[in-house]
Amino acid sequence: MTGQILLLSGLVFFSILAILAKDLIRSAVSLAVASLFLGIIFFRMGAPYAGVFEISVVAGLITVLFILTIALTKADGDVRESKLAPIIFPLVFIAFVVIDVLVMKSLLHKIPAVPGTAESGSFGDVLWKQRTADLVGQLAVILAGVFSVLALFRKRDKDE
Amino acid sequence: MNSTWFVYLGFAAALLVVGLYALLTMKNMIKLFIGIEVISKAISLVLLSTGFAKKNILLAQSLVITFIVIEVSLVATALALIINITRRTKSLDVRKLTKLRG
Repeated sequence: MTGQILLLSGLVFFSILAILAKDLIRSAVSLAVASLFLGIIFFRMGAPYAGVFEISVVAGLITVLFILTIALTKADGDVRESKLAPIIFPLVFIAFVVIDVLVMKSLLHKIPAVPGTAESGSFGDVLWKQRTADLVGQLAVILAGVFSVLALFRKRDKDE
Repeated sequence: MNSTWFVYLGFAAALLVVGLYALLTMKNMIKLFIGIEVISKAISLVLLSTGFAKKNILLAQSLVITFIVIEVSLVATALALIINITRRTKSLDVRKLTKLRG
């Protein structure tokens, strides 16, 4: 459990770094490192497929998309963030962590643990037989994404 | 088992606050979207840790994979929108979107 807590702390740390870094490329890379930590956490929880997806798709593909977007919009100058944001953040975050720990400790024995029924079969059975409708939904979402990107980058006709 | 779940929930709540803070205070559109990404990490952590605590890790895993696919589609669309907005307003500043042009 100590290893998991260290990994979770790393995940939160790199997420904070992604938010507070001034350089956008650094933000994107920090986000990728946070995804890497999350993928390792998934592996250690016994979910290798989710870990592989998290590392290859979120840490890989999404980071490439972010860096591509940053490169395409770089020439337009930086946006001035308010100077107070990095100063207030530690205060807000520390206050939240204190409240978080207190609330979680108070809830610890109040919510009854519903006994889970142990699963049988393999991951393939669950994904392809129990959640077949999800796969159709995934397909629809991917198609929607592809068509929306195509629509957004459509070239104008000459007579328009 | 139960206490482990609360540790994961606590960290996920911290991630959620980091993302919400970015959404509330930042003005750069890419930073705002990074905030949304951080929130989505918190959601997938909650999904999988709940499955882990209830010994339903296979089902949780398939839900997380569905969530990741949706996330990729969302990211592609949103980044395309950001590029288009930047071409029009010549800036990544989200405040410039409030100016209406007739």
